[in-house]
Amino acid sequence: MPRAVKGVLIECDPSIKAIILKIDKDSGHGYIVEDLDDETLVVKEPKLPELKLRLEKILERTQMLERDEESDPENPG
Amino acid sequence: MSGNIRGFGYLESLPPVTFRRLYQQPATALAIFRRMLPNLAKTIVTTLLYNESPVALGDLEALVRPESYREREDAFSKLRRLHIITENNLDVSLDPVFKKNFRLALTGGGDHHSFGVPCNTEDKKKITVQFLDDYATRQFEAILHYMVGTHNEVKPSKGVITLLTKGGLMERYGAGSVATITKNGFSFLLQDGNPQIWALLIQYLEMSEELGMEQTDVLHFLLMLGSLELGQAYSVNTLTETQKLMLADLRDYGVVYQRKSTSDRFYPTRLATTLTSESGGLRSASASMSSAMVKDAEEGKGFIILETNYRVYAYTDSPLQIAVLNLFVKLSTRYPNLVSGRISRRSIQEAIKMGITADQVIDYLSAHAHPQMRKSLVTLPPTVVDQIRLWQIEGERMRTTTGFLFKDFHSTQEFEEVAKYAEELGVLKWKKPSKRCMFVTRHEQIADWLKRRASAQQQQQQSKKVAT
Repeated sequence: MPRAVKGVLIECDPSIKAIILKIDKDSGHGYIVEDLDDETLVVKEPKLPELKLRLEKILERTQMLERDEESDPENPG
Repeated sequence: MSGNIRGFGYLESLPPVTFRRLYQQPATALAIFRRMLPNLAKTIVTTLLYNESPVALGDLEALVRPESYREREDAFSKLRRLHIITENNLDVSLDPVFKKNFRLALTGGGDHHSFGVPCNTEDKKKITVQFLDDYATRQFEAILHYMVGTHNEVKPSKGVITLLTKGGLMERYGAGSVATITKNGFSFLLQDGNPQIWALLIQYLEMSEELGMEQTDVLHFLLMLGSLELGQAYSVNTLTETQKLMLADLRDYGVVYQRKSTSDRFYPTRLATTLTSESGGLRSASASMSSAMVKDAEEGKGFIILETNYRVYAYTDSPLQIAVLNLFVKLSTRYPNLVSGRISRRSIQEAIKMGITADQVIDYLSAHAHPQMRKSLVTLPPTVVDQIRLWQIEGERMRTTTGFLFKDFHSTQEFEEVAKYAEELGVLKWKKPSKRCMFVTRHEQIADWLKRRASAQQQQQQSKKVAT
């Protein structure tokens, strides 16, 4: 009989996955259940919010998100 | 949908013992049949209902066309999970308790009082349906108004506020401070009336357990309310102690009406009588409702105009509707009967940060679209709808799905068979044949299927041995 493991499937870009792998490695492999391929992996469900938070923090440091201009052509200023 | 708000579906996860106790009341058996079963499952139940001996599974399956295979599996899986059918080898029969009480519900008889006991004596003050509708609207709107923080003459009671904070719809920072709405609260506001009231009642159910109330008693009462008649007074005397306690709380939510807490009669409102009906409650019935809980497509009461240039005009002066709109629209001007604003990348992304999904926004806009918008083939401008979805994807760095990973298949053939089955059920999310791995959103049906398949194979092997 095949086995079933509970978890959360994450589909993302390879770059994001690389960061997740690093977070997992740095924390002593507490997150990942199964590494499936370049763009998919399964992580432990209770750990997901924590993982998201850490990912967000790392991305904040590395990326500058452009501000979107809230200009309204009919109401300038 | 936001998975944090539990609705009616939560009941499915109750333990078997609870179900067995629930089925002891005819009204509850009927309510579960009515509200929780898909039509095909209902057909199966009615087929079994007056059959004294078990029916072979194959015969039941033969009732369904082969191409509706998926619906059939769905129906059986639901019946198994709700413990309505019991299986002995390949024979199926109804749970005896369910069978007995469901028959009672259909044909009457017995003195179970499970459908409430109407008050025969005349009430001194006549209570009209209109009055009950107004009362329910006022009470329930007070809760919604309180959540968005608008001023309203009716303040919800302490019990309601505790319920909202316990349920995670509102949050209090430090004792004595004013409660503020949470992410869950926002998605709650965007829901329809019936899911909203169920979300509150499920929360109530959980809280009642902490207060030492009998859970099945509470559920019996909630499900019974769904079979009562609007405008009829019911006697309090036949209720259990727990249920009498509940009346006070349900009065606060606008689900039942009592003139005084000592009164010996109560009236269910429309919120109560539509609890277990198949189609939505208050929204279509009461034209006087002008709040976010009303989905008024048919009556042409929509008030929102969305233009291709992302501008939004809403013909409303209701603080509640304006507050809901303000969640995802950047409002700029307010006139006595109209507010106008604009949907922008920032306004949508702020909404997403609060836990509202693009689909919720789109659903809300199309549900409340102005009749003028409905005249065109597509209600909302497709460019705007697409853009709202794109804005959501932009902010997402990964897509997550909760579920189960199946691995360690013996053979490619086994893998392919399970994958095919999972795909037919619509639960397959991802698969990789080279690794013999797949990810599914639900595992119960597949596990069931695997077990049945294994035992069928065993039997085959045994019969082969006998033959040789």
